[in-house]
Amino acid sequence: MVESLFPSIENTSESSPESRRKKPRISETAEAEAEIEARRINEESLKRWKTNRVQQIYASKLVEALRRVRQRSSTVNETDKVVSGAAREIRETADRVLAASARGTTRWSRAILASRVRAKLKKHRKAKKSTGNCKSRKGVTEANRIKLPAVDRKLKILGRLVPGCRKVSVPNLLDEATDYIAALEMQVRAMEALAELLTAAAPRTTLTGT
Amino acid sequence: MDLTGGFGARSGGVGPCREAIGLESLHLGDEFRQLVTTLPPENASGSFTALLELPPTQAVELLHFTDSSSSQAAVTGIGGEIAPPLHSLGGTLAFPSNSVLMERAARFSVIATEQQNGNISGETPTSSVPSNSSANLDIVKTEPAETDSSQRLISDSAIENQIPCPSQNNRNGKRKDFEKKGKSSTKKNKSSEENEKLPYVHVRARRGQATDSHSLAERARREKINARMKLLQELVPGCDKIQGTALVLDEIINHVQSLQRQVEMLSMRLAAVNPRIDFNLDTILASENGSLMDGSFNGTPMQLAWPHQAIETEQSFHHRQLPPPPTQQWPFDGLNQPVWGREEDQADGNDNSNLMAVSENVMVASANLHPNQVKMEL
Repeated sequence: MVESLFPSIENTSESSPESRRKKPRISETAEAEAEIEARRINEESLKRWKTNRVQQIYASKLVEALRRVRQRSSTVNETDKVVSGAAREIRETADRVLAASARGTTRWSRAILASRVRAKLKKHRKAKKSTGNCKSRKGVTEANRIKLPAVDRKLKILGRLVPGCRKVSVPNLLDEATDYIAALEMQVRAMEALAELLTAAAPRTTLTGT
Repeated sequence: MDLTGGFGARSGGVGPCREAIGLESLHLGDEFRQLVTTLPPENASGSFTALLELPPTQAVELLHFTDSSSSQAAVTGIGGEIAPPLHSLGGTLAFPSNSVLMERAARFSVIATEQQNGNISGETPTSSVPSNSSANLDIVKTEPAETDSSQRLISDSAIENQIPCPSQNNRNGKRKDFEKKGKSSTKKNKSSEENEKLPYVHVRARRGQATDSHSLAERARREKINARMKLLQELVPGCDKIQGTALVLDEIINHVQSLQRQVEMLSMRLAAVNPRIDFNLDTILASENGSLMDGSFNGTPMQLAWPHQAIETEQSFHHRQLPPPPTQQWPFDGLNQPVWGREEDQADGNDNSNLMAVSENVMVASANLHPNQVKMEL
């Protein structure tokens, strides 16, 4: 796809060099290349999250996972607290399914899938290790706190939001954020539809009772 | 590539005798004619005639020299030839009129004499090329109006030196640019054709910009980041109007946080609904068609509305009155039928048939989202 893009640029740049002299040549300089490259990456990823097939895969997996979650949680007695616990489980399940749909091509998906393994290990090791590595959180001590420029601060915040992208370079971080946003939007849509279906289909049952 | 091939073919056992030279130059001429004829459709790459912007016959004549006098005459003739085109093109630039041209003519005569003396091998074109570019640089440095472009040319030649395997086409194409710099005060990016073959991303410096390697790398990095920021801006609604990276990043962060919060809300809703999955399935099957036609899946335009609705639905959790999504009649397309058919095949005789039906519904609902994108990729 990139190769097919280049000939068109070459032809246009070669055909009328003089006429283009005065116009802003945004399309012809190195900016264009960076933009094209970024666009290629992002179009692939964004289209990926918008296709029907992905949505179908995600929806079906989500339903399966939810069913399993329900079975697991049904053993616990139903109180209001369980709702939030179940909500957390559902969210994590949904995130995991989302990450699985990404097929491991993005960093955040790998981080989500890996975090579950790490959480399980942590549970087993809870007796042995009580403290985590909190020192690494503060890069700058309180005494000589330097205000990073605003953009860098925000990039750090963004890195914290996207799972597994704290120490990632800036262009990669932006790529990951793009894919993550697209994936999240798909997730929201799928869960919304599912919730609608399930709640709309149960008008009579215990909705009003509980 | 024709040049090197041709020269290489002739390199074997070439003696410095004039007759041989004449013959070889004839061969040269044929190749040049071939090249010249193929020049216009291509990007005028890989030929000295492109450099000179001369009719091919004169270029061939340039190489057909048998004695220095005629070479000088031809060169001066060509030099005179060069002057009018350049004057016509570079009206804004003040060329020191004849000195540069004579220097250039001298350069061409260097080419001619080299070939005259029978240093015809596969290396002459390549050796003459760097000499040309360096000569070009020298010439350029003397031009007062072109200090920036001289830096540009230096950087470009520096970039050229990085090229591991210089293809004649690219180099000559760049030299053609050097010739044309009287034409265009700003450079076009010819390195795009190199990017296909090389791992480097070559950046051509624009007029008035610094050209040392640090700033070039910096600029490439900045442009990469800016390209990605633009894409993010397009993705996040409402970022188009905002100027400034910090504010755009703010918006992006807000958007990601809102999406994550929405996922939390929805997961709570689903957690509440989940125990009733078994009860609801028959009713789901019965009422799915109606609910699906209402367009429970919303497209991206509704993204901003969802946070409000999600927050409301949290309070009206058990309230039946969910704010209905605006009804959008997504047309059912042919995707509906195959989806149904496929899932029903799998769902036969399953205990999970009900749930597969649920998944069916969600799939069909998702099919509603992008009725135009019937892509089965991945």
